[in-house]
Amino acid sequence: MSAVLDEAPALPAAADVLAIAEEVVATYLGADEPLLEVGPGAPAAAAVVSGSVGVTGTARATVTVELDEAAAGRVAVLMLGLDGIPAPEDVADAVGELVNMIGGNVKSLLPEPSVLSLPVVTAGRVLGAADPVVDLHCLWGPHPVRVTVHVPTSTTSPQES
Amino acid sequence: MHALIIDDSRAMRTILRRTVAALGFATTEAGDGRAALDHLEAGLRPDVCLIDWNMPVMDGYTFVTRVRANPEWRDVTLMMVTTESQHSQIVRALAAGAHEYVIKPFTADAIEDKLRLLGLVRDLPDATRAEVPA
Repeated sequence: MSAVLDEAPALPAAADVLAIAEEVVATYLGADEPLLEVGPGAPAAAAVVSGSVGVTGTARATVTVELDEAAAGRVAVLMLGLDGIPAPEDVADAVGELVNMIGGNVKSLLPEPSVLSLPVVTAGRVLGAADPVVDLHCLWGPHPVRVTVHVPTSTTSPQES
Repeated sequence: MHALIIDDSRAMRTILRRTVAALGFATTEAGDGRAALDHLEAGLRPDVCLIDWNMPVMDGYTFVTRVRANPEWRDVTLMMVTTESQHSQIVRALAAGAHEYVIKPFTADAIEDKLRLLGLVRDLPDATRAEVPA
């Protein structure tokens, strides 16, 4: 039994992931409108922008952040200091950095050594192969924000390139 | 004082530019380590480089090793500003020649404190400081 436990991959605690996401939001998007976890009953976004980063190595995980389009635009405006409507590349850049910071700090909760991928930002939801081990449904102001961590169930993963 | 900001995210370069500009720094930006080396090879001599770790083309760790391999650039102060917060990564960067390490997310005060430790921020009267845009 203990051997099984020893070999089980370490999973990040939801509270730790939430604390990371809260800190990133408060630091770069303003403390006036904190990220609030509201649970699965949070309103679902109709159109979302998703950012994801992967962790590979001793630990394997995918960290995703989903925001509605209006929230993603606000993230770009705040982080880039824009006056007008952000261009799609501005939104991708800002959401990518947001998920990069959350994912990079989630990586620190996982066994070393591991490597963080560059962020990928897409229109629409990221299709996860497995149920998330952390699934945070939050509100940032009126905007739904979902932060998830997916960890493969098998530890015998393909060799990294 | 002059800072070379090296990060593939324009949003993060903007945040860092505002932060150090408020401390009186002029800035130059690069989107990856290779582009930053191009600036140095062209003769730019920043007082400090603020370096992300994970970037396309050339990552920040490789940039640090390349800078430290060139004696002409020995006076350039190198400060990692990255989400890489695992202890082994911090040790690796410092062993390669980085002087300081700041983990994202950071506050403006954290950057100022590190730059002050490095002797790159002098105590100026408040009135001489640039305002950080909202």
